[in-house]
Amino acid sequence: MGIYASPEEYGLADLLCCAAAHEVQDNEVVFAGTGLPMVAIMLAQQTHAPHLKLIFEAGTLDGRPPEIPTSVGDARCEMGASRSSGLYDAFSIAQRGYVDLGFLGGAEVDRYGNINTTCIGDYLNPELRLTGSGGNPDINSFASRTVFIMVHEKRRFVENVSYITSPGWRVKKWPGGEFVHRRELYGAAYRGGPSAIISTLGVFRFDEQDGHMYLDTCHLGTSPDAIKMQCQFDLDISRVKGETSPPTTDELRLIHELLDPDEIFIPKIKK
Amino acid sequence: MSNGKRITLQQAAEIIKDGSRLTFSGFTIWRRPMAIIFELIRQYRKNLHLIEVNGGSQTEFLVGAGCVDIWESCWVGHELYGKYGANLSRKVAEKKIIVEDYSHAEMLFRFTAAASGAPYAITQTSLGTDIHNPEYDMLGRAGLRDGIRIAKHKYQFTEDPFYGAGSQVLVPAAKVDIAVLCVQQVGEEGTVRVNGQYYSDPEVARAADITVVMAEEIVPEEYLRRNADQNTIASFEVDHILECPFGAHPTGMFGKYDVDGAFLKEFYANTRTQEGYDAFAKEWIHGRDHISYLEKLGWPRMMKLRANTAMNYSPREKKGGN
Repeated sequence: MGIYASPEEYGLADLLCCAAAHEVQDNEVVFAGTGLPMVAIMLAQQTHAPHLKLIFEAGTLDGRPPEIPTSVGDARCEMGASRSSGLYDAFSIAQRGYVDLGFLGGAEVDRYGNINTTCIGDYLNPELRLTGSGGNPDINSFASRTVFIMVHEKRRFVENVSYITSPGWRVKKWPGGEFVHRRELYGAAYRGGPSAIISTLGVFRFDEQDGHMYLDTCHLGTSPDAIKMQCQFDLDISRVKGETSPPTTDELRLIHELLDPDEIFIPKIKK
Repeated sequence: MSNGKRITLQQAAEIIKDGSRLTFSGFTIWRRPMAIIFELIRQYRKNLHLIEVNGGSQTEFLVGAGCVDIWESCWVGHELYGKYGANLSRKVAEKKIIVEDYSHAEMLFRFTAAASGAPYAITQTSLGTDIHNPEYDMLGRAGLRDGIRIAKHKYQFTEDPFYGAGSQVLVPAAKVDIAVLCVQQVGEEGTVRVNGQYYSDPEVARAADITVVMAEEIVPEEYLRRNADQNTIASFEVDHILECPFGAHPTGMFGKYDVDGAFLKEFYANTRTQEGYDAFAKEWIHGRDHISYLEKLGWPRMMKLRANTAMNYSPREKKGGN
């Protein structure tokens, strides 16, 4: 793994990228979105998970792109891939249960890991319409584990998300909308749920039985109490393990020399 | 060998009538039929009902121009070059457009159903989300679910009757009048060869009543038939064809040219207000044809975007848009 970098050698984006990469285990089938997650997965592929199988939503199966694609529709995705196809293949394979891990993002999250990427405010009279779901609920429904990378602000870690775009551990049962454990809804298709939220302050995990989020590690320079203050809900900080592992010098070299030399997704630290 | 499928850009846009249910090839900012989109805007098409597996820059151009009444899809934005669909967002706030939200897989499966002649698709995605909130059936709220042009229900739940696998979601077939595709090659009789990821092109072409294919080049049909296993869509699934080089710009095309990131960034920045969109459309769309658009773009920019034949993308175009 190499030597841990000192705090002045890396930035927050480096820390998030490496924390995300550490969520990947070797030989897993990983569903990649655009942006920082793509760098994280390729970092894992270059380090501890050389046999991971990468799926891009637009139709690339077992991709080994020689450089970071700009988005999942990019021509770079399929260079060296096992198969280049289309969305039917990507989504039917996911629904079939092949996907171990998916990386996603969100604008808001609640204590159950329900994610909103649809709108801010009342859906029928929104303050701001966002991008919409994309494949977020699909990956989060089909994969065994999902990891979210999010900016941490009190207005984003909320009591109730404006719209549940993507299902957490306790979700709404329709037509009434009462919260139930997702296991009750998904039946034979139940495989798991959100495994970690990597925010700009810390790493959060979930008690899979009661579906609640808890703080797992704090990033350098913050504390459990400070993070709890940045959540609208009552965050469980009783299970904190310590500090989030910093990037190693090898990881930083791979990110900035090999994977994202043009700083498209991860800026370099100005020394 | 021509059997009369060739049409012009103007004719392609004229096939799409006011109120048409319309869909496109491509994925977010890749292989969108932009030259036809611009022609629709020049022709002031209105009341369109877009049903898209995913939206992208084409959605934002049409929505900004006021061509769209209903948008059924799951996502809109310009990827790295614009984080959300600012025109759509503004029109949603002003209640000038009806948005029906599905998940990405639901939209894809809806087209798969339509493409196979089935009335609906069955899936286990997005259970427990607000996508299935009965209060958020926007076409239902607007009284537009006639069971003819628009499905009677947004979705239905059912229990697996065969293996006891639990809750399932039924989503209606995505019935569309017209699919407009933008691809690398089409033969004179309509055979399509897509290079690179084909996204959901085979499904949308088959789902539509009329399929229009705009290609970088029309090639001899016999050339494509020499390697039929490499073709993507069969000749008789395609009704009309046209040749239009750089027809996907500013979106990208595998093996031909990259996404013009700088163009999309500038477009997105302008879409924050209606006045900004209108000024952009006046500069780039109105009073022009495709050749005049390319002349304005200029050879240096087009050559920079042009893909390397071995790599299928342009090593000259800096990622992130210059």
